[in-house]
Amino acid sequence: MAFLAVACTTLGVAWVVEPFFAPTTWPARLGLVLGGTALLLGTIRLGLSQSTKAGASAQRYIDRLCELDSLGLQDDNSLDIVPVRKEDVQWRELAHKIRRRLAEFAAQADEVEMARAGVEVRIRRISAERDQLSEIVAGLSDPVLAIDPFGEIVLANPSAERLLDIRTTAESHPIFDQLQQCEELVNLLAETRRRKAPIQKSSELNLADSDGNERWYRVTCRTLTNPQESGGANDRNAAHGAVAVLSDISGTRAIQKRNAEFVSAVSHEMKTPLSSIRAYVELLVDGEADDEATRGEFLGVINDQTDRLQRLIDNLLSLARIEAGVVAVNKVPQSLNERLAETVRVLEPTAEQKDIRLTTDFSQLYLGVLADRDLLLQGAINLVSNALKYTHRGGSVTVRSKLNDQEVIFEVQDSGVGLSPEDCQRVFEKFYRVSKDRDMAQGTGLGLPLVKHIVEDVHGGRIEVDSELGRGSTFRVILPGLAQLSA
Amino acid sequence: MSKRILLCDDEAHILRAAEFKFKRAGYEVCCAADGQEGWELILRQRPDIVVTDCQMPRMNGLQLAQRIKNDPATAGLPVIMLSAKGFELSMTEIREKFGIRALLAKPFSPRELLQRVEATLAGEAQPVASYV
Repeated sequence: MAFLAVACTTLGVAWVVEPFFAPTTWPARLGLVLGGTALLLGTIRLGLSQSTKAGASAQRYIDRLCELDSLGLQDDNSLDIVPVRKEDVQWRELAHKIRRRLAEFAAQADEVEMARAGVEVRIRRISAERDQLSEIVAGLSDPVLAIDPFGEIVLANPSAERLLDIRTTAESHPIFDQLQQCEELVNLLAETRRRKAPIQKSSELNLADSDGNERWYRVTCRTLTNPQESGGANDRNAAHGAVAVLSDISGTRAIQKRNAEFVSAVSHEMKTPLSSIRAYVELLVDGEADDEATRGEFLGVINDQTDRLQRLIDNLLSLARIEAGVVAVNKVPQSLNERLAETVRVLEPTAEQKDIRLTTDFSQLYLGVLADRDLLLQGAINLVSNALKYTHRGGSVTVRSKLNDQEVIFEVQDSGVGLSPEDCQRVFEKFYRVSKDRDMAQGTGLGLPLVKHIVEDVHGGRIEVDSELGRGSTFRVILPGLAQLSA
Repeated sequence: MSKRILLCDDEAHILRAAEFKFKRAGYEVCCAADGQEGWELILRQRPDIVVTDCQMPRMNGLQLAQRIKNDPATAGLPVIMLSAKGFELSMTEIREKFGIRALLAKPFSPRELLQRVEATLAGEAQPVASYV
């Protein structure tokens, strides 16, 4: 603009002054025009050179800015190696402004980068946690399954897949309602999902496992609410997802059933002597017994039945205590023959009373066993006294011991009433009593179960019975010998 | 003429106590140790009423009651049952399927048993559901 102004001025002046100087000649006019042009060109040249210098200065600052790394941005003097001249000041200030903006951008970029790294770490951690959780759920022996609000099974651990015969993958989610074999489970989960407020429900139901065995499961269902979806008024009516955890309680159920049966059997066994006691007491109270002999008879029955009740309770308690491990078991190496001899000494008077020949046939060897002295003695006494009970007068009972291939054996053989093959199977059951022999002796039906427990559970041996009806029975106890134990 | 009663129980002491009570009350008493023996005695002795235990060897009380009900020769013979155990059957079933007139829980009172027997023989309806 400046150059144009100078040029116009020159030409204008030339044109105005022309009539006064009267350079009417064309050469003069031409000279004047040429002079003006030369003046104009000079001015333009000067302007261009100024502009080139400013451009070069700007270029230096731009180059310098480009060389700056993010660290250099922090250094205020980093631009000052370019010599500061008056005409450079504007570029220098511009460069400083740009440098400050760049420094701000760089700081923001650093922050963003740090945030990104933080997010990445969290993602990795969450992903690892999720993998670990999946592994834990997969490893659970209890079946676990989760369904989403659309009723698709989104998670089922291997136990659940086996139980319900389903397969879940990332791509395919079986529809829960279509599970045929477990209507009750479907209903329970459907009910859990329909609730407006999250709930937890549990129920016991039976399901057939993959082998077709009926098993009892305790199912706990919980509504799954997705926090991102909840909150809207409409969502309150929508179905939720749900998670179900099934625990196999077949074992507990079986124990409960066994306990109920046991309690029922115990109460029956207790009611029998109690019935007699009550009946005879009432007869006495009502004055039904006129003579001393009848009163004596009734009191005798009451006395016997009270003893029977007491024995039953004692046996029950010792069985319960031994089974529960309350009785301290103190196993020490000892001679089996010594315990058997002790047993025979205890029971000899009973045998004599019943006129039964009680003989022994002990091995000449030392039969060492690792056993609890009292329990072993109690087991042997139970077996021998049983033999005496179920052998008629004039019969015989033999207690025998022998060594058989490192196993120590003792047998109690009698010439008694014997057992049928069915009775042989059942004789170790609690409260089982051979019905035809009930009148022969009083029993609680707990003696042999106790022996079996002492032999098998406490001493790691086994017990067998050979018997023939009318010919007698042989109860055989096989215990690991000391040599076998140390081997 | 005195009434004849059949007592059926595998516990000898119980049998003896009931027998004693009924004899003193003027009954003619016959005793059996199980259901089979009881059935044979019913056919031979023709009792007016049967009192039986539930759990017995060979033939139990329910089997005996059913046999009595199903045999035209004995149908209508009143049966009273003693039991130390609860039943899985409902009282209606016990009454209708087995024709049992009354149930008495063990331990029982001989006095109450006598009253039940007398009431049954007199044709009174018995409260069957007298226990669990």
